[in-house]
Amino acid sequence: MPSFVSYLIHTLFPPSVRLPDILLIDVGLVFGIIGIVVFLTKTGRWGSLWRDWLTTVDHKKIAVMYLIAALLMLFRGGVDALMIRAQLAAPGAHFMPASQYDEVFTTHGTIMIFFMAMPFIFALFNAVVPLMIGARDVAFPRLNAMSYWLFAMGAALFNVSFIIGGSPNAGWTAYPPYTGLAYNPGPGENYYFLALLIAGLGTTMTGINFLVTTIRMRAPGMTLMKMPMFVWSTMVTSALILFAFPPLTVALAMSLFDRLFGSSFFTLAHGGMPMMYVNLFWLFGHPEVYILVIPLFGVFSEVVATYSRKALFGYPLMVVSILAIMFLSYGTWVHHFFTMGAGPGVNAFFGLSTMLIAIPTGVKIFNWIFTMWGGRIQMTTAMLYQLAFIPTFVIGGATGVLLAVVPADYQFHNSYFLIAHFHNVIIGGTVFGLLSALYYWWPKMFGMKLNERQGRWAFWLFFIGFWVTFTPQYFLGLKGMTRRIYTYPAGFGWHQLNVISTVGALIMGAAFVVLVYNIVWSLRFGERDLTGDPWDGRTLEWALPSPVPEYNFARIPVVHERDAWWAMKQRGQSLAGSLRAEDVHDVEMPKNTPIPFLIGVSFFVMGFGMTFKWWPIAIIGFIGVILCLLFSGFDYDDHHHLKADVIRNTEASLGRLQG
Amino acid sequence: MSEHGNTALTIKEAYEQDNDKGLKFLRPHFAEEKFPAVQIAGYIGSLVLTFAAYFLVMNHVLPPAALLAIILALAVFQAGLQLGVFMHLKESRGLAWQLIPLYLVFLIALGMVGMSIWIMLFKSGVS
Ligand code: HEM
Ligand SMILES: [Cu+2]
Repeated sequence: MPSFVSYLIHTLFPPSVRLPDILLIDVGLVFGIIGIVVFLTKTGRWGSLWRDWLTTVDHKKIAVMYLIAALLMLFRGGVDALMIRAQLAAPGAHFMPASQYDEVFTTHGTIMIFFMAMPFIFALFNAVVPLMIGARDVAFPRLNAMSYWLFAMGAALFNVSFIIGGSPNAGWTAYPPYTGLAYNPGPGENYYFLALLIAGLGTTMTGINFLVTTIRMRAPGMTLMKMPMFVWSTMVTSALILFAFPPLTVALAMSLFDRLFGSSFFTLAHGGMPMMYVNLFWLFGHPEVYILVIPLFGVFSEVVATYSRKALFGYPLMVVSILAIMFLSYGTWVHHFFTMGAGPGVNAFFGLSTMLIAIPTGVKIFNWIFTMWGGRIQMTTAMLYQLAFIPTFVIGGATGVLLAVVPADYQFHNSYFLIAHFHNVIIGGTVFGLLSALYYWWPKMFGMKLNERQGRWAFWLFFIGFWVTFTPQYFLGLKGMTRRIYTYPAGFGWHQLNVISTVGALIMGAAFVVLVYNIVWSLRFGERDLTGDPWDGRTLEWALPSPVPEYNFARIPVVHERDAWWAMKQRGQSLAGSLRAEDVHDVEMPKNTPIPFLIGVSFFVMGFGMTFKWWPIAIIGFIGVILCLLFSGFDYDDHHHLKADVIRNTEASLGRLQG
Repeated sequence: MSEHGNTALTIKEAYEQDNDKGLKFLRPHFAEEKFPAVQIAGYIGSLVLTFAAYFLVMNHVLPPAALLAIILALAVFQAGLQLGVFMHLKESRGLAWQLIPLYLVFLIALGMVGMSIWIMLFKSGVS
């Protein structure tokens, strides 16, 4: 028995997690969990946690859960970033050991892309797409909840790695042979592959769900060319997800087989082909970067039109260019491994195809500018992010074109120049877009505005911090500093630039603190949104009260033109004023179910068991998954009728019923 | 979804018919469904095809070229099987609903596979 205990301790808490800072976090976590349990019990909230959140299938609540998860992960990824910058601030620093540095940058990248940006985007999809198209929910509400719980449990699995067993350490791209069992025997990479497989399953389902939702669930009259741009971007993103995630799933599963079952798909020995992993990963990876940015193109199109009080300029061209980006983004993936040596033919082809993408992107930039042209612009926080996005993203795109020049990329590749490029597009495009959307749609999601003055503070700190952090990194790259190095000697001329970069990171850290303060302050004291239309919006979500009632639309609206709500207002109509009691009928709503949550937990158990090759635990989790699926398959009682009287009462209490 | 029969609809007609049903088209139609014999057979068939490929690879019964050809054939056959049995290829509202996505799938799949082969050929060219 003692040998069993020592085996457990040695496996779960190897020396790599017995560091003072991690032990401190362990203690904090234990107290945190105890605190939460005590709080829920004292205030008697277990029941409502279960009924209102864990078992919900309502897209609006799922959106809130995605948002909370994304903000938590932004915090975790941000702390990792600050640790990286602390380590690099001085030559020869010993802030942390090299092995821990590897774990920190791997965790930072993986969390930011898969567990921060993706769920944040899904939060937006869930919060507004059904409202924008005049629907009562997504096409498959139960699947939607399942997507969420698979994502959440994948994220949880990834996040326990650093306290139990040790974090992955092969970079967010997890190339072999770094991930090979021979070179990397700990459980870290198993965590990585399993967490991403589980979360990826959820993501694929989200893609399917929103593809079907946007194609099939639009209100009568909303033809494709009358859809808001954000809905277009949702549709295109979902299609990208549908085709991009299978190669990732295959690559991850094959790597996992190499590690768990002794196959040799990507090993160096036995005829494995490590380069094939690189090919498969970027077959996913490049579409992924567009999955990360296209939704925000949609956000910016909504934000710029609303705050310029003008219709989006060149809507048809916007649609064409977004579709062009979708197709082109499947044909550029080799630009991530030009240096693999596939030969001049291959490299020239993919260099050119990469540069081509800049054209439709440029079209969109011009259209946003022309939308603002001559408009009456309101300088809200959301609009500030929009204005910051344009130059930031243009510079990021321009350095991308530089990277696409193949001979030059042999110099730039895997240097800090590359790091600066992709942060330029990912922060300038994705993060600025997400924050813009947060300020824009917050009243719709929560019923109050975020304080604008605090918002402007957070904005300027983010914006300045961003440029202070990443401008020096371009020059560091040109001076030969490579990515993923743990330390550097004095005398290379890298020191000053690194110090500036670290200062910038601290400014961004301050911005995050202000953002959180802004959110907490506004939840308590923020200006209530009583009209449901605080920005004088253009699309249908602003026709509804904030926060939106469970059934969304008491009566499904009929759409006649683009910017449907704006047009209604121009004609002096509203959804509220015209609603008569006899117009309201019973509506069919999906019913809450514990299955998605339970299937997520089962996947977590299975993933945890597989990580440590504890097969009995893995099998228990697997059986849980099968039972959930079976139960769900024979559960015919999956919807309920919301009575017309209930809807009438709700609408009347909101002052939206005539007579 | 058999209520729509086999009448071929254009995308627009199919859309108009189904629109404004709220969530109604999600309502299960179990009464109309028979025992899913086809699906179960398709499932077992898929497993058999997978294990056949696995067996061939693990036991080295064939020379490499023939092996590659056979597992490729098994894969294509399985893809067809799954499209037919699980992707409701025959239960269409109209041809247009099926063909456009299908063309897209072929375009992207062939593009990915074809270009990957092109890219990975360098192994033979470069030492
Ligand atoms: C005009 C548009 C763009 C061009 C021409 C471009 C070009 C490139 C090239 C050539 C590389 C590879 C550099 C190297 O490894 O040496 C690269 C890397 C990268 N790009 Fe872009 N890019 C563009 C837009 C974007 C966008 C919109 C995003 C994300 C929102 C993005 C995210 C990334 C990421 C994450 C990497 C690095 C991945 C890694 O190695 O870890 N790029 N880009
Ligand atoms: Cu790329």
